Amino acid sequence: MSVNAPELELRGITKRFPGVLANDRIDLTVKTGAIHAIVGENGAGKTTLMSILYGLVQPDQGEIRVRGELVRFSSALDAIGAGLGMVHQAFKLFPTLTVAENVVYRNEPKKGWFIDRDAAEAGVRKLADSFGLGIDPKARVEDLPVGVLQRVEIVKALYRDARVLILDEPTAVLAPQERDGLFVIMRRLKAAGRTILFVTHKLNEVMAVSDRVTVLRSGRVMADLKTSETSPKAISKLMTGRDIEAVARPSLGNGGEHLLRVNDLGVVDDAGLVRLDRVSFEVQAGEILGIAAVAGNGQSELIDALTGLKPASSGSISLNGVDITQAEPAQRRLAGLAYVPEDRHRVGTAAGGEVWSNLLMGYQRTPKFRRGRWLRGTAVKEHARELIAQYDVRVGSENTLVGTLSGGNLQKLVVAREMTHPAELLIADQPTRGVDIGAIQFLHRRLLEYRDQGRGILLISAELSELLALSNRILVMYEGRIVAEFDAASTDEAELGIYMTGGHLAGAVHG
Amino acid sequence: MAETLRASTNRVLRNPVAFSIVLSLLLGAAIIAATGTNPLLAYSEMVRGALTGSGLRNTVSRMIPIVGMALAISIPFRAGVINLGGEGQMVIGGLAGTLAAIYLPLPPVLVIPLALVAGMVAGALWALLPAIGQTALKLPILISSLLLNYPARALTGYMVRFPFADPTVTSSSTVPVPESNRIPKLALFDGVSASLVLLILLLIGVALFNLRTVPGYETRMTGLNSRFSRYGGVAVDRQVVWVMLASGGIAGMIGTHLVVGETYRFLDGDLVVSGFAWSGLLVALLARHRPGPMLAAGAFFAALQIGGLAMQRNVNVPWQIAQVLQAVVIIMIAGRFVLKARRETAAVIEGETTVTGEV
Repeated sequence: MSVNAPELELRGITKRFPGVLANDRIDLTVKTGAIHAIVGENGAGKTTLMSILYGLVQPDQGEIRVRGELVRFSSALDAIGAGLGMVHQAFKLFPTLTVAENVVYRNEPKKGWFIDRDAAEAGVRKLADSFGLGIDPKARVEDLPVGVLQRVEIVKALYRDARVLILDEPTAVLAPQERDGLFVIMRRLKAAGRTILFVTHKLNEVMAVSDRVTVLRSGRVMADLKTSETSPKAISKLMTGRDIEAVARPSLGNGGEHLLRVNDLGVVDDAGLVRLDRVSFEVQAGEILGIAAVAGNGQSELIDALTGLKPASSGSISLNGVDITQAEPAQRRLAGLAYVPEDRHRVGTAAGGEVWSNLLMGYQRTPKFRRGRWLRGTAVKEHARELIAQYDVRVGSENTLVGTLSGGNLQKLVVAREMTHPAELLIADQPTRGVDIGAIQFLHRRLLEYRDQGRGILLISAELSELLALSNRILVMYEGRIVAEFDAASTDEAELGIYMTGGHLAGAVHG
Repeated sequence: MAETLRASTNRVLRNPVAFSIVLSLLLGAAIIAATGTNPLLAYSEMVRGALTGSGLRNTVSRMIPIVGMALAISIPFRAGVINLGGEGQMVIGGLAGTLAAIYLPLPPVLVIPLALVAGMVAGALWALLPAIGQTALKLPILISSLLLNYPARALTGYMVRFPFADPTVTSSSTVPVPESNRIPKLALFDGVSASLVLLILLLIGVALFNLRTVPGYETRMTGLNSRFSRYGGVAVDRQVVWVMLASGGIAGMIGTHLVVGETYRFLDGDLVVSGFAWSGLLVALLARHRPGPMLAAGAFFAALQIGGLAMQRNVNVPWQIAQVLQAVVIIMIAGRFVLKARRETAAVIEGETTVTGEV
């Protein structure tokens, strides 16, 4: 082991998944005691790279050196042994155990045959206090808010003597106030000589806390920069710089009539944090209104409030002139709302049900499919067969169980169901996520046809190219607020990217 | 010939229910042999005891409450609501029905239906408590309904010990239901209770409800994925309330049948010791909420229990062997379903990561 070797050195890391080159000859050097940001869009290869580094995935090619020594991780245990610690996006804690019990798990201090609880608690307290983490070792994990859980994860890594901490999008689950606290902790860890790999796609965070930044795009390293010598605008360009697909600019809708009117809508979560902050906008007939936002910036709360799945805390919503702020989901559907949910597995379908029963949901009380309390079985199956044909859903029959469908087919099924509603407004949340190119084009055409019928669409997508290709207007949300509105014809990914990542706050636009 | 035989044997063994029954019979045979009795003899006594002579009537009579309770439990089960309070609802309903049958000053033709209705209403109200607990206070029905079995038993015990006690007997029980007000017997199966007809009608009704009605569709979808149902506009909380009402109502009716149609006195603890609610729960699990298989599984369990008694009487093999068989069948089937569910979940999770996981 040489003294001057970097903490981490990755050379030529390549990983291929079926159909995707997730990591393409990635080189990465991380100096001891640095906060090194890794940025990139969804699908840029960040998660794969971190999984390789943490021993969860084995690279096809390439080598990893830790402090100059060549290592080969066949599992996370090897990585932990080499002094790496990872804080995952979804915390891996036992909810019913205490903080101390979670932290010492697999390294319990023992007194004879028993766990030495006092020693565990004292050890955890000492460690937490030395970094100012402010956690109570005796607290039960299920009682703690997310921000604290994250600190528990950090202590867990530190307890195992992690010299390098990998934080995988740590701010995605945090409210802005909590995030600032995390940054303070990160700086303290750095001051104590620990190295931090900080995975994110928020540029203001990169600027605020990191020393260096590596930009990934489509599995490749685009740049490795010193943070103080770059700008959010430059990083944003490197992140999103792919050619924008040539698309026919959509004709403007027939306009005029306001389908959906949202006024000062606010959502406060159970912990009392503001998730949606007085949002107001309108969707017109014949218009696709796009919402651009990085996950966790209030768009889910907005959709839940619009669809009635979770109540709004303040403000009002009216659809077709009817106030639906307090309406139940069924009443909203009757008032003219259709909804393609982001999570097609957990919200949009029932895996144990057949294709026909999944296609019926939401219509079961319409006259077409019932006579009194009786279901019109033939009409239901007929309808299912029609949709299967129209939307080219590849299934054996309408009686096939939905759990056997592939992601793209499942998405077609959900979109088919929702677009066939006689609703005036469609909320489409990530309508093409995880769907192959052919299906994407098909779904895009359908969305445009829908709009051309004089109906309105609220489109939420992580794919900026999709928003730009389909929308008439685009709203950008950041930390629960609408921070910008653009005419889709006169903006581009780089500009949207700056607002989505809070880059405008870091002075990229007005500075 | 041998080929087709093997094929059909394979098919039977791949069916989890048939496979479990065959295996548990083999295991039971081993246990019986260990007690020094010829297993074939014991089994033949069991079959004879369960299906011939008065045994058949006893089997059918025992099947009525088992299948009835299975039906009661299966209605919320299918909607993803686990009602473990069938016993309490049955006992409360049973007492209300009995009291109506004893004290209503009306002609029998009115009293019997009214007694059944009284049982249903009382059982439904008892089931309403945990339903409201869950929808208004987020108390899980699974726990509250189970716990409510104890006060139900205590309350009815108090009632038959004090306000409605029969002073002429030493046991804690009501006076007998007047002969005219009892649920009549059928000529079928050597005099089985007319409640059988009611049960069959209920089974058909529930089957039609499940397969052919809008609320039947909605309850099934909620059971499969309640978030999906909510998303589709189903008022899931209201659904919880009414499936519990239906469940408690049927349980209360079965309780009424057991007294007004079978024992004629509400004797403290009498409805509980036979464990009908729990046999019903197992049957509901086995039949996976479908009324047809429920009847078959209920008949099988009733025959096992009645046959077990005959086996003890005639060849001196303890009747608990029948319970062992029952338990083994359940464990085997549960194991098979759990394995299957795990494989399916694993497949879904794998599919998920390859489809939408970030790379």
